Amino acid sequence: MEWWIWLVIALAAAAALAVCLLSVQARRRSGGVIAQGPGPRAGGGRHS
Amino acid sequence: MTVYMRASEIIKKPVVTLAGEAIGQVKDLVFDSSTGSIRCFTLAGRGLLAGPLHRALLWDNVHGLGPDAVMVRADSALEEDDTAARPGDGDRTGGDVLGVALTTCGGRRLGDITDAVVAMGRAPVVAGYEISTAEQRRVLLPVAGPVTVSDERVLVPDETARYEAADLGTFEEAAENLRGSLRRAPKEG
Repeated sequence: MEWWIWLVIALAAAAALAVCLLSVQARRRSGGVIAQGPGPRAGGGRHS
Repeated sequence: MTVYMRASEIIKKPVVTLAGEAIGQVKDLVFDSSTGSIRCFTLAGRGLLAGPLHRALLWDNVHGLGPDAVMVRADSALEEDDTAARPGDGDRTGGDVLGVALTTCGGRRLGDITDAVVAMGRAPVVAGYEISTAEQRRVLLPVAGPVTVSDERVLVPDETARYEAADLGTFEEAAENLRGSLRRAPKEG
């Protein structure tokens, strides 16, 4: 194969890897609102 | 007058010491599902490539929460680890409420939670949720009275559906009206 085809393949693979890494990183850093406490039960919790 | 903030306004705020050093940013809000009280924050490092810090910041150690930063006295205000933010033994909750269904005790799904509303003050509490309805509307619903939080849904009294607010400006009135309604009919829901 021509050398430039390998170059295109390598660049495409690098771009795909970068997208994967960025999405994993965004997921690691994304925030949430975490409920903590006793599990669900009859007459459960009471917010103020 | 109570000041309300969306949880998304608190998440990603930088955590800054009184010496002016930014030591991280807020990642998660952790609250007590039985009382709604904010217990702590989990933190992420600063910078694009930084991951979670694995150190919790207890609310008791927060010096101030302003519009642009969460202030702490010093780096020592952070816990050594994030144990405080993890579910305890036998705790069947501990889940992120974002994305779970807000459902009435009568079995009506009101929508999916997209954000939480926090009543600020010395002891901030989760006072309601922003939901995305089936019609793709975003509305704020206060919570009061019996609320059950599981990792799949948040159950609220049936009356909750009648007290939606379009924005934080009208949220307090909706919350007051809901509390009044539940006081008048304490056995419903």
